[in-house]
Amino acid sequence: MFESVGGSFRDPSGRVYTVEQPDGRTRVLRVLDAPAFATHTSLMDQEFFRRGMEDGRIVRTSMPSPDLPETQEARDLGWAGIVEHETVPVISYPYEWTFSMLKDAALLQLDLFEAAMEAGWTLKDATPYNIQFVGSRPVFIDTASYVPRVSREPWLAYRQFVSMFLYPLMLKAYRGIPFHGPMRASLDGLSATEMNRYFSARDNIRPGVLSHVVFPAKVEASIASREKDRAEAKKRSSSHSDAMVIGLVQSMKRLVNRLASPIQHTEWSQYETAHSYEKDDDEAKRRFVEKCAEDSGAATAWDLGCNTGTYSHLCARHVEHVVSVDGDHDAVERLYLREKEEKGSQIVPLFMDLANMSPNHGFAGRERTSLEERAPPGLVVCLALIHHLRISANIPCDRFLDWLAERRCKVVIEFVDRTDEMVVKLLTNKKEQYADYTMETFVRQVSERFVVLDRITLKDGDREVFYLAPKP
Amino acid sequence: MKLNRNVDIVILFFIMLFASTRPSFAYIDPGSGSVIITTVLGVIAAAGYTMRKYFYRIRRFFGGRSREDTEDKS
Repeated sequence: MFESVGGSFRDPSGRVYTVEQPDGRTRVLRVLDAPAFATHTSLMDQEFFRRGMEDGRIVRTSMPSPDLPETQEARDLGWAGIVEHETVPVISYPYEWTFSMLKDAALLQLDLFEAAMEAGWTLKDATPYNIQFVGSRPVFIDTASYVPRVSREPWLAYRQFVSMFLYPLMLKAYRGIPFHGPMRASLDGLSATEMNRYFSARDNIRPGVLSHVVFPAKVEASIASREKDRAEAKKRSSSHSDAMVIGLVQSMKRLVNRLASPIQHTEWSQYETAHSYEKDDDEAKRRFVEKCAEDSGAATAWDLGCNTGTYSHLCARHVEHVVSVDGDHDAVERLYLREKEEKGSQIVPLFMDLANMSPNHGFAGRERTSLEERAPPGLVVCLALIHHLRISANIPCDRFLDWLAERRCKVVIEFVDRTDEMVVKLLTNKKEQYADYTMETFVRQVSERFVVLDRITLKDGDREVFYLAPKP
Repeated sequence: MKLNRNVDIVILFFIMLFASTRPSFAYIDPGSGSVIITTVLGVIAAAGYTMRKYFYRIRRFFGGRSREDTEDKS
């Protein structure tokens, strides 16, 4: 049975469906109309495309036999044919990526576009939603974006590229403003006019601002004022040589390469050297977490509040895919920069406020989905997290445990008691003292919702880590 | 860096040409300016691209590093 992927409806020439297999695996099928299917058939023979798949920059794609029942089902739905893609284990979105993740995705988009141009092809879109991270490696997934280039055609996706890659990167690199809020609020990214308002006249001297922000903003405003109300829209076309398009793409690559947002010294990005454990307790905690990960039998684990990924690595020894989430950008950035150097990384690092994780949104609330729907976990690890949620984010422990119980999976959760120096620090300047935040209450709340499989006491009783299973 | 400054001066000229700010309206395709923008930026980029191409060829002719060597390090 075909199930439509929520975010794949924007391109009218095709649609992506997932098909659940009896063994629990998911197959990803792309159905195409007749012209798009003919284009894709010819794309499969292109050297640049085969090379991209071989080096892992383009998702591995095959053309299933026309006799398969899926092909027949696609034809019954009115499509001309199907192609099959290798499944991406964890889908993530640009508003969950760190600066370097978006930058690497931008460079991949430009590299693939340039390689296609040299072979007489082009990419009709330039959106980061067409790129996914397999582990910590960016992979281009929207093969239907490839079309033969019409002679002397401009870079049609320029505007989309700047809105969804360049402007968010500039926002962070030049102004220090995280792009995640604007990108989550607007799925089409930032417009030139909007972006221009973030900059003062002083920013005009920064590379790319005049060319790609101020100038496009003026052109857009000028057109808007000339063609408003009943004024007829002007038809615009222009002839672009290969040198114009490749020159623009190469200059964009140089610009993106120069954008930088160095890691600041934050508390969490220094976690590995600054945590509050003695060596013995630290060892015991690591052993306990690894044992739970091994026992869980999970295919996907979430490490919530992962910091720089110490426990994510332990989980990755026994779990196929680890989604490492933290609300500190630079801690996640540090994890990504390290992971991307690892061959076969199984860790997808994501930046998210754990008190306000990605929701279902976009058209009809189905275009982009929550992490719960995208990557349901078999194990959730929440170490040294609960005190931040209760005391800093005001989320009651029982509400958080309810949400965890809804995941119907194994859980490793650490409770940090009131006597622990980190909780004392958090409570020092708080008027509200969270009287409900005690070990006794927490243990009761846990037992009401879960079966406690194992537990370990650390730091002379200040902390306790629980290994939980959902109640039958 | 000097090249960048020259590009900025050319871009400033085009900014003056389009300098008038008004709010946008629902019936105007937000992408309709892209042709103008990519044409102006494309012409400037093509000039740089062609200059670089010939520069690398001349340098290679005189026994300098190839273009690939240079681009790998940029």
